[in-house]
Amino acid sequence: MLAAYLQYWKINLLTMAEYRADFFMWLGFTIVYHGTALAALTITMMRFPSMNGWSLREMFFLYALWMAAHELHNALFYNVMYVPEYIREGRFDRFFVRPFDTLFQVLTVPSRTFPDGFILGVVTLAIAAGVAHINLSPQTVLVIAAVVCGGAGIDLGISLFVASLSFWLIRVDTLRWAIMSLEQDFTRYPISIYTRAVRVVLAYILPFAFMNYFPASYLLGKHDAAFGLSPQVGLLTPLIGLLWSGCSYLFWKIGINRYQGTGS
Amino acid sequence: MTALAPYVEYARKAFAREATYRIELLAEIGSLALRVYLLRALWTALYTHNVAPMGLPLHSMITYATVAMLMSLVLEVDGTRVIREKLREGGIAVDLMKPIVVPFAYFSDGVGQTLVHALAILPSLLISLMLVRIDVPPAATLVVFFFSFALGYGVNFFVNFLLNGIAFWTLETFGLQLIVRWISDLLSGQILPLAFFPGWLGRAVFALPFAAIYSTPLLVFIGIIPPRQWATALAIQGAWLAATAAASYLLWRAAARRIVVQGG
Repeated sequence: MLAAYLQYWKINLLTMAEYRADFFMWLGFTIVYHGTALAALTITMMRFPSMNGWSLREMFFLYALWMAAHELHNALFYNVMYVPEYIREGRFDRFFVRPFDTLFQVLTVPSRTFPDGFILGVVTLAIAAGVAHINLSPQTVLVIAAVVCGGAGIDLGISLFVASLSFWLIRVDTLRWAIMSLEQDFTRYPISIYTRAVRVVLAYILPFAFMNYFPASYLLGKHDAAFGLSPQVGLLTPLIGLLWSGCSYLFWKIGINRYQGTGS
Repeated sequence: MTALAPYVEYARKAFAREATYRIELLAEIGSLALRVYLLRALWTALYTHNVAPMGLPLHSMITYATVAMLMSLVLEVDGTRVIREKLREGGIAVDLMKPIVVPFAYFSDGVGQTLVHALAILPSLLISLMLVRIDVPPAATLVVFFFSFALGYGVNFFVNFLLNGIAFWTLETFGLQLIVRWISDLLSGQILPLAFFPGWLGRAVFALPFAAIYSTPLLVFIGIIPPRQWATALAIQGAWLAATAAASYLLWRAAARRIVVQGG
């Protein structure tokens, strides 16, 4: 399986070298997407220097932490997004006749995924950590790396959960869209600015706050104004990522078992 | 009147086509509600912890951001996407043979699509009003606002037209278009008031055509552009409309000739 996976990445990178114009377009795409978000944040915070006690430097780090985790997820697990489409169009069934795990096969459908966003995310995170004056001892670097992986795990867990729902429902696009908007827009700010119900959703139900808010609070030595929790909860991110992706994988397995193919 | 009949028919067809995507429309309204909630949380937090900038109290800021959101329901419809599709599938050659002014037909198509999304404005407005309070300006201001909005719609249409027109040479413009969209969202004042931009950047953004799309109507709405400056503001918008329309005309002429060359 490992050999097959390495082969998959080899093909991906060769594709990238072949379709260079495509690659640069997507790179430009990623840069502009995050660039405009960060520009809007910077301009706003030049006028309003404090966001519930968070400075621009800290907000930059908050964003970068989410960005790195989300882009890691995109680089490795983006194909999960296509599952509802595969099922609807009947293209999912081919995964059953091959001797690999279905999820593994979904993840390795060649789709011109490039790791450019993730590389960009790591660079941004490194800059943001410097800007936010985080003391980069080996332990801290290890914690950040674990948080980024855990964050990608949370992302995967939630998108895999939504994808698995499509074994029962024909259309999950609307739900997926709402969750994506919740993730992309609501993780940009400290969750203490939201009303209690939204905070609870972001911390306990769809735990996007563990991708950046809690670990950033821990790393920046900030007091949690949302729930008054100990900053140490930020260290739970890898565990939550593992838990979410693990449970979603089980849910996926159940879905596969009852799947009969839409339209058969 | 009979000369206009085919174009009315184009608009009607586009309306019917677009109106079949009801779920998408509902999702759009739902996602708008989420974003209105977000903007309330964001600006309230910023105003609570900072000194308000001159001349822009919180209620004006929330009105600005909410109206911008409602405008985006209409302005984010890309009425000229049809050019790209027709080019890829070759339908454009047939259209050029028909006894119609093709760009005008596409404009009608865009208007038809836009009207469907305009229907979403009313429910969206009602939902927004449950979340935030919007300042209602005097009737005269409202009239000028709608007039200015219409000019902005025109500028937006031609900017999209120019971008989609590039497809005559490159065939693929989707990535480029999203990039320009994100930049334009920022530079048009949709995300934040252009007055927040610092120094020379602040002066530069007002000199770009993007400001004519969102910023001018919105500043009329919240009263930052007072009645004695209405004429100037609208004249500048009109000038941008003329300029982008002229550029579109030139592009279209060059492009149509190119098609004839390729096909002959």
